Amino acid sequence: MNLPIDWSGVLTGPPLHWLLSGLAVTLAISLAASGIATVVAVLLSALRLSPLPPVRLATLGLISLIRNTPLLIQLLVWYFVGFGLLPQGLKAWMTGDHPWSVLPGQVSLFAPEFAASAWGVGLFIGVFLSEELQAGLNAVAPGQREAAASQGLGGWHTLTAILLPQALRNAYQPVVGQYLNLMKLTSVTCSIGLAEITYQARQIESFNSHAFEAFAAATVLYLAIGFILERLLLARRKA
Amino acid sequence: MGLDFTVILKNWDYFLWGRTFQGETGGLLLTVLMALAAGCLSLALGIGLALASWLGPRPLRAVLTFLADLVRSVPLVLVIFWIYFLVPALFKTKVPGALSVILALAWFSSGAVLHATLAGLEALPRGHREAGIASGLTDGQVFTAILLPQAARNLVPSYVALFASMIKDTSLAFILNVPELTMTASQVNTRAQIYPAEIFLFTAAVYFVLCQGLSWAAHGLAVRLQPGQML
Repeated sequence: MNLPIDWSGVLTGPPLHWLLSGLAVTLAISLAASGIATVVAVLLSALRLSPLPPVRLATLGLISLIRNTPLLIQLLVWYFVGFGLLPQGLKAWMTGDHPWSVLPGQVSLFAPEFAASAWGVGLFIGVFLSEELQAGLNAVAPGQREAAASQGLGGWHTLTAILLPQALRNAYQPVVGQYLNLMKLTSVTCSIGLAEITYQARQIESFNSHAFEAFAAATVLYLAIGFILERLLLARRKA
Repeated sequence: MGLDFTVILKNWDYFLWGRTFQGETGGLLLTVLMALAAGCLSLALGIGLALASWLGPRPLRAVLTFLADLVRSVPLVLVIFWIYFLVPALFKTKVPGALSVILALAWFSSGAVLHATLAGLEALPRGHREAGIASGLTDGQVFTAILLPQAARNLVPSYVALFASMIKDTSLAFILNVPELTMTASQVNTRAQIYPAEIFLFTAAVYFVLCQGLSWAAHGLAVRLQPGQML
C-alpha cells in the first residue's frame, strides 16, 4: 500500500472552494427537494382516498411507475424531456440571468440541472413518503375518520387536520428515514451535471488526482449532514 | 407531442445486449448480469453476517448492525467512486467499472440482507431453537435444519424485493461509463440527438417491466409460502 495522503490538495485553494460550494448546493437541493417531496406525499395521500375509483387507480399506477424505475432514469427524463415541455417563456426566464438566485459555485436555483434535480428527487421521495404515510394511516382507527365527518369536516380537512398528523406519529421513524435518504440520493444528480458535493469531489480528482482525500472529505460531509439532520428531526419528536 | 419510436426499432439489439458480440458485454444483458453477481455476493455476505450475529456473542451483533448502518449512511454513488478510485491505488491493479459497481452494490446491500435475515429469524417462536437444542442438535444444526427453512417463508420474498432494487441501482454504473442499459440509452440519445423522450421512456419501461414483475413475484411468493399453502 502506497498512498501519499496530502490534505492540502483538498483543503486549500480552489478544491476547498469547490467543496464548500458543493456543500451549499447539496444543502439547497436537499431543502428544495424535501419541500417538493412533502407536497407530493400529502397530495398522493389525498388522491388515494378519493371516492372516484379511476383517480385511485391512476394514483397507484403513478406510484408503482416511480417506485419501479431507477431514480437516474427519471432524472434523465426530467432533464432531457421534461424541461423541453415547459412553456417557452418559462424556459427563457429560467435560463436567464437572476443574480439573486445564484448559489456559490455559479449554480442557479433555476438552472435546468437544479430544477430537474429538485423535481426528480422530490417526486421520487414523495412517492416513498406517501407509502410510509399510508402505512401510518392504516394504523389510525376508522372511528377517527367517522368522527371528523360527523363534525362536518370535509375530506381535505379530515386528511390534513385529523388523519395525517396521526399517521405521521405512527410512521415517524420511517418518514425521517426517507428525508435522510433524500439527502443521500441528491448525490445521483451529479450525473446530470448538478455541481453538488459528489460532483465537486470528482472535479478535484480530475484536477489533482487526490482521489482519496476528495472522496474522504465528501464522505465526511454526507455523514455529518446526515448525523445533524437525524438529531434535529428526532429531537423534534421528543419535544 | 408526437413520439416516433422508430429510433427504438433501429437500435433494439443495442439496448438489449450492446456490443456483446463484438466482445464487450453491454445493454440490458450487462444490467441483469451485474445485478445477479451483486445479488449473489450480497446474499452470501449478508446471510453470513446474520449467522455470525445470530450465533455469536451479543456485542458482535451490536458491532455488525452498527457497521451495516454506517455503510448505508454513505450515498451509494460515493461507495462506487471509493471502490473505483481506491482499490487501484491500494492494490496496484485496475478495477473494471462494472466490477467496481458490483462490489459497491454487494457491499451496500449486504447490510439490507443482514437486517432482513435477522428480522426473519427473530419472527420465529423462541421455542423452536430451544426444542432443537433439547433434541441434541448443535446450534449450527438447529439453524440450518429448523430455523432457516421456516424463516425462508418470510425471507425469499424480501430477497426478491431487494433484487428488484438492485436492478434499479445498477443504473448508477452510468457514472463510470459502464455500458449497461442506462449508458446504452444515453449513447443512443447522443447519437440520435432528437429523440430523448422516446429513448428514455423506452428505457424506463424496460426497468419498469423487470422490477414490477419482480415485485409481483415477491408478493406472489409471500402469499404462497405462508404456512398451510401448498408449495
